[in-house]
Amino acid sequence: MTAVEKAAGAAPMKSRRSADRIRLVVTHLSLMALAVVFVAPFYWMVSTSLKQDRQIFDPASWYPNPVMWANYKHALTYIPFLRYTENTLLICAVSMFGTVLSCSLVAYSFGRIQWKGRDALFVLVLATLMLPGQVTMIPVFLIFKWLGWIGSYKPLLVPTFFGSAFYVFLLRQFFRSIPAELSESARMDGATEGGIYARIIMPLSKPALATVALFTFIGAWTDFMGPLLFINDPNKYTLSLGLQQFVSQHGAEWSMLMAASTVMALPIIVLYFLAQRTFVEGITLTGIKG
Amino acid sequence: MLDTDTPRAGASPAARIPNPPVKRKGQGNMARRNLRNGLLFASPWIVGFVCFTLYPLVASMYYSLCAFSGLNHPVFIGLENYRQIISDELFTKSLGNTMYMVIVGLPLSLIAALALAMLLNQKVRGISVYRTIYYLPSLVPAVASAILWMWLLNPEIGLINRLLAPAFAAFHSAPPAWLGDPHWAKPALVMMGVWGAGGSVIIYLAGLQDVPTSLYEAADLDGATAWAKFRNVTVPMISPIIFFNLIMGIIGTFQYFTQAFVMTQGGPQDATMFYALRLFNSAFIDWKMGYASAMAWILFAITLVCTIVVMKTSGRWVYYGGGDE
Amino acid sequence: MLYNNTMPKRRKWFSLLAAGAVAFLLPGCGRQAKSGPTEIVYWTGWSGFELELQHKMVDEFNRTHPNIHVRILSVFNATGDNQKVHIAMAGGDTPDVCSAVWTNELAGYAMRGALSPLDDFLKASGRRPDEFVPGAWDMLQYHGHTWGLVGTLTANFIVYNKDSFEQKGLRPPTNLAEWEAVNTALTERTPGGSYKAYGMRPSSLMDWAYVFGGHWYEPKTGKVTATDPGNVRALKFLQDFAKKNDIRRMEVFESTFGSNQTPSGPFFTGKQSMQATGPWIEQFIERYAPKNFRYGWFPYPAPPDGRPLCTTLNSSCFVIPAASKHKKEAWTFLNWFLSPKQNEQFCLGIDNGSPLKAVAASPALQKDPLLKYSALIAGGKNAFGPPQMPIWPTYLAEIQRAEDKATHSGGDPYTLLLAVQKKVEKALRDAQREAVY
Repeated sequence: MTAVEKAAGAAPMKSRRSADRIRLVVTHLSLMALAVVFVAPFYWMVSTSLKQDRQIFDPASWYPNPVMWANYKHALTYIPFLRYTENTLLICAVSMFGTVLSCSLVAYSFGRIQWKGRDALFVLVLATLMLPGQVTMIPVFLIFKWLGWIGSYKPLLVPTFFGSAFYVFLLRQFFRSIPAELSESARMDGATEGGIYARIIMPLSKPALATVALFTFIGAWTDFMGPLLFINDPNKYTLSLGLQQFVSQHGAEWSMLMAASTVMALPIIVLYFLAQRTFVEGITLTGIKG
Repeated sequence: MLDTDTPRAGASPAARIPNPPVKRKGQGNMARRNLRNGLLFASPWIVGFVCFTLYPLVASMYYSLCAFSGLNHPVFIGLENYRQIISDELFTKSLGNTMYMVIVGLPLSLIAALALAMLLNQKVRGISVYRTIYYLPSLVPAVASAILWMWLLNPEIGLINRLLAPAFAAFHSAPPAWLGDPHWAKPALVMMGVWGAGGSVIIYLAGLQDVPTSLYEAADLDGATAWAKFRNVTVPMISPIIFFNLIMGIIGTFQYFTQAFVMTQGGPQDATMFYALRLFNSAFIDWKMGYASAMAWILFAITLVCTIVVMKTSGRWVYYGGGDE
Repeated sequence: MLYNNTMPKRRKWFSLLAAGAVAFLLPGCGRQAKSGPTEIVYWTGWSGFELELQHKMVDEFNRTHPNIHVRILSVFNATGDNQKVHIAMAGGDTPDVCSAVWTNELAGYAMRGALSPLDDFLKASGRRPDEFVPGAWDMLQYHGHTWGLVGTLTANFIVYNKDSFEQKGLRPPTNLAEWEAVNTALTERTPGGSYKAYGMRPSSLMDWAYVFGGHWYEPKTGKVTATDPGNVRALKFLQDFAKKNDIRRMEVFESTFGSNQTPSGPFFTGKQSMQATGPWIEQFIERYAPKNFRYGWFPYPAPPDGRPLCTTLNSSCFVIPAASKHKKEAWTFLNWFLSPKQNEQFCLGIDNGSPLKAVAASPALQKDPLLKYSALIAGGKNAFGPPQMPIWPTYLAEIQRAEDKATHSGGDPYTLLLAVQKKVEKALRDAQREAVY
């Protein structure tokens, strides 16, 4: 704390408390004002999903009138919603598991072990992100074809067990923030790297791991291009692919599309709402830590 | 910079054990063991790289030296593709557009994301609801938000211009036509980018959770101002995360594509013809995969240089609690 | 939870490896040994109700053809770029029949050897070129072979709002000069210059060039003809219109509409009195237009030296990829699907015209006035499909950029088209280096 300036002396208690109260009010007000900006697309999506076709692009209609619950009924029965949800959940669960596992291991290597060639290899990890995917699509497709994986979920799932550069980098940053002394002393006590990884680093990185898990889940849940390229069987379709079936060549069934989009967005919104408790838990944990 | 002896480290029971002097003899052994462990832990990535990434990289490098549509066998033509790209008027234009997003758009959205994350890190009632709301733009399907923004940005009936109209009227001018105007299309996209920065907000938030409250308490005892706390506690403590968002932002922004592809297709008058969009068109409309690959490798080189420059400066401003282990 | 794992470490490592291995071995899409009907895979570019109809038809085919089983998959992508098909063709892992290819792209695929020529199949099944509307047949030829078949064929023309016309005492124009007068009469602007209502804004140089007597390519000589006088005149017309009518204001006005094919669309609310469209507009009129909406139609208005009753054609194309493993069965299905009986069912079901002369002239299609009108124009001598050249999508993009430049930042039409000409000639030369056909 060497750099903290001891500017103003401690203010008298009373004025400080009222200053706190003003700050609280300001915080609340700005949170609320901004919330309107951020909730707008969601409101628009939900209200469109409940509108009649005639009302959708009418700029003056701010809310659905009458409320068309039938859109939801139609959206849920138009495509095999349950089956697509199952398929999507399977992909989400496996890729979440694979990503958290592989990326944390690799990040441990890059963030917590000092080895020769590490930094050069890390630049290579990042470099893999710098080539636009459009030009590697064909060779990637050829590999999967050669492996006989086209048409199965394997092209979507197996690579998640081999670390993705984005999450490796993210976890490395968090791992590197954990004090070195924790590992050192464990090593003195005879712990192996595997033990340090599993018993010290992983438990201390809950917020980061939750972030990675959440991003992977949302990524797999909304992924369109991957399933589009590799899945060839309507029974194996995911929700994001199924949603496209609402749109027809000469025009869109907007309200139905939005109803389906809402149904698709809701689970991840709930998931995020629940998952961010894990971030909050992170505080208490850090509280013990610090 | 903070001392390495942060309260967080000091308070940990394990860290109280004094470090024994390192034995010189063991160092060779130790290096070998570290190398073995390092490679072992990194092995998933290494295996995956060899199996799934190496061939596509080499292949696209080779394609970049070929006339190759994607359908036939590539025909080697040396550096012809590179020569053509450099003499293409759209190369400079699209690279310029992309640089605009990197230089103007990226810093703005990084700063906005940090500000939002700080706001969402307040301990006030209902904060978890706010956190969810602020992340909504990232959870709503891209098509829905694209349509919404086209409405908001509509020059005559859009909400944004209806709010701005009185201000512009005071100067006897009309508010911008946004996506319809070559000068305002990119700023409009930047605005959208700031609004949709929820992903970076969450990463910042996870970083902010990791800042020990004891540091702020200590600063409070010292009577530090809010700005001083931000400058001397928050920023150094989350600098690894800022670094992460910056690097990923650079890599991602150089490949800026989706919004332009969905909303503007490069128009008006090539104002939103970004490098990656041009690349996509070469690969999938013109069937020039070789040309597109050469474009990709040029972009790769530019991104790599920028990334390495940022990484070189990082030693000066990124602080790792774990030291340089 | 992962990080609370207390397994002994060796076991832990093992389980990690095992997890990876399991992922590798996850059961994939089974390639079971087949006994019974030959399964063929059909990828369609249609979706929504258009897809539903195809499902029904495929079911019927499977019922009536016990030796073949067609599996249908919609590969529709809202952005319309058919990327799955591109990658599958490039990777040589294709379906047996595919309708997610635009006639725009047909020659490009054909030239590069990605498709099977259909000539022998057509002959063997006794299908003759004169069964097809000439415009439809011509656009499927490249390098002396037929590469695909289309299931639908519609003309573009102009639909107008009768009430708007009658209120101002206007009659449907019969040539370009009359159209310009009508368009001016329909335009209402505020004193500040903003638009309140208009006739229409002509756009798409590619289409208007044909109306002005131009053309883009000569298949016989392989010559690019971007600087054809008709094309230059068309671009000049679009540029003059843009200048005279303040195109930016017009675009701002248009951008307030949302979508054309919605209830608040300008065409249904009287803000726009004319619209270039096809017969499918009927569906949207039924769904979105006010109850007493009265409308009529006329062809693209031509100048004296231009082409009357002119249209361009473009459709989804049915092809059999070169990598198909069951070409014969694929043809059996394709031939059935495009037989007059099934084609009539298909076209009626999705409100589209037919490429088959017999179907287009059938009472069922002729009963619908718009389909009848569309058949008249599409079957005429001034109906033009995409030129049979392998880089038409690239060419089109260049044409659009030239139009954008000419109408927004000015520039001499001939010079702009000359630049297109040079660019496309070079691109064509480059592309032909890898020609298989």
